[in-house]
Amino acid sequence: MKTFAKFLGLAVVLFVAIALAVLCGDYGPWYFAWLVGTTMIILIAVAGGVLFETQLETLKNGG
Amino acid sequence: MPLIDPTIVDLSRLQFALTALYHFIFVPLTLGMTILLAAMETTYVITGKQVYKDMTQFWGKLFGINFAIGVATGLTMEFEFGTNWSMFSHFVGDVFGTPLAIEGLMAFFMESTFIGLMFFGWDRLSRPAHLAVTYLVALASNLSALWILIANGFMQDPEGASFNPDTMRMQFNSFVQLVFSPDAQAKFVHTSIAGFVAGAMFIMGISAYYLLTNRHKEFAARSIRMAAVFGLISTLAVVTLGDALGRLDDLLQPTKIAAIEGLWHTTTSPSAPWLVAALPNDKTQSNSLEIGIPYVLTPLITHTFDKPIPGLIDLESAAGPHILNGIKAINALQQYGTTHDAASLATFQQYENDMGYGFLAQQNAPNQDLNAITPAEMPTVVQQTEQETIPNVFVTFWAFRIMMFLGFYFIGLFAFVAFFSLKNQLESHKFLLRLCVYSIPGPILASEFGWITAEAGRQPWSVYGWLPTFQAASSHNVGYMVFSLIGFALLYSLFIAAELYLMFKFARLGPQSHDHAAPVAGTGASPMFAKPGFAAKSWE
Repeated sequence: MKTFAKFLGLAVVLFVAIALAVLCGDYGPWYFAWLVGTTMIILIAVAGGVLFETQLETLKNGG
Repeated sequence: MPLIDPTIVDLSRLQFALTALYHFIFVPLTLGMTILLAAMETTYVITGKQVYKDMTQFWGKLFGINFAIGVATGLTMEFEFGTNWSMFSHFVGDVFGTPLAIEGLMAFFMESTFIGLMFFGWDRLSRPAHLAVTYLVALASNLSALWILIANGFMQDPEGASFNPDTMRMQFNSFVQLVFSPDAQAKFVHTSIAGFVAGAMFIMGISAYYLLTNRHKEFAARSIRMAAVFGLISTLAVVTLGDALGRLDDLLQPTKIAAIEGLWHTTTSPSAPWLVAALPNDKTQSNSLEIGIPYVLTPLITHTFDKPIPGLIDLESAAGPHILNGIKAINALQQYGTTHDAASLATFQQYENDMGYGFLAQQNAPNQDLNAITPAEMPTVVQQTEQETIPNVFVTFWAFRIMMFLGFYFIGLFAFVAFFSLKNQLESHKFLLRLCVYSIPGPILASEFGWITAEAGRQPWSVYGWLPTFQAASSHNVGYMVFSLIGFALLYSLFIAAELYLMFKFARLGPQSHDHAAPVAGTGASPMFAKPGFAAKSWE
């Protein structure tokens, strides 16, 4: 039941995301670009932080 | 007493510009830092390392100072629409009030509620729940900006409304058109991401200060890494989106784009140079000391190689027929206001689209009465009004260039810092670190000059093509305006002083858990920071 609820929740999120993409893509291309772009900027900045930790680990291990 | 007192209009403009520019010292940091805080907290949730939580909390504290003072400076502007711009409020209040009201709800309800949860919920919420709250703060702060920029987008390109001759004001036709206006969209994306650049530079600059002073190194090295990467991508996005906004201005506001480019004569050849520098003279309508790059202007503005770009002198002449039509529209509207007859209404509707040009001609009419213009006076009134249809070129030209040059400087700075951070060689480049510290105000300045470009370039209109700025102001006396202007300048200067004092104080104190070079729980005593001269060592 829990798995089903999770599946249902994710399906709703997916539906909302697709609806948002379709609506924004048609009527607000720049708003859509902001949503996608901001998400990308955050993810790349986070990747920068995670990479820092990996580099640190490598150095700690004598790499 | 004349209907329009130019001194009152100038003082009203000065007061609004002053309060808006003061307010916009705080806004970009709010827009950018909330998103960066979300990125830092995401890293904390992914890696589980305490240092990222400390980063979120420390930069969050500085964000909190900025937010508290910034909100206060923004409140007055909404009231100024009523006190100093009552004609504007009457004319477009039906349309303009809606996004402002939604912004109020977004800013004060959503943002403030979640900021409270963000600051006080660390020990009360689970990690994912707190992360969701931080994302909601970031979203809410940017949504607040969205509604303001939708309102401003309407002033730049009035979509979704039409003039009602019975109520004598603009009325809503389509909320969807207002919200999805291309100008509002492009302006929001450009302004919001310019805020990201400001937030990134702020964090990068203070982190560079810590590295220069050998304090909080683990904290600073991580902060600078994330801020530099975040800032580099954001700056590239801002420049790209600025080009999109320029393309829209070419289509919607040719006078603004010609003023931005210092273009007095229409270009006919793709070889037209893009002016890197020049001294535009508004009186002689010419430039001196031009330094230009040929073959750049046409593709830059029109995204083609053959489309001509209209110059200001030609745009002035092209306004002539619109002014004549506008005078007919206003005269018919006045007639309709008295008689409500169908013939006057039909005449007005015939020339309605040029009504704004009629308003513009009013200040040149005898006793500011368009009905009093004799046929012999008409060519003089039209000629005088033509000259008033273009913005101040010197201000628009240079405001744009300062913003743009700063933007390209930021790309270089973020790129070098990101590169040396990735190579772990940042500390051996002291000059670069110093440059980061001195560049903290840069993106805020660029945003200010961006607004000057957008607003000065829209002149002489408060609502483009519909309502001239001088018609939008309230009737006051000079003494009242000077008194309130001085009051605002003093009060806002106090706010700035308070912000600077608190920012300097808490930035100098730094993150408390990293004092005395103590290793932070979860980060471990990294060998990178334990070794002297570690930063000079390459990752390789």
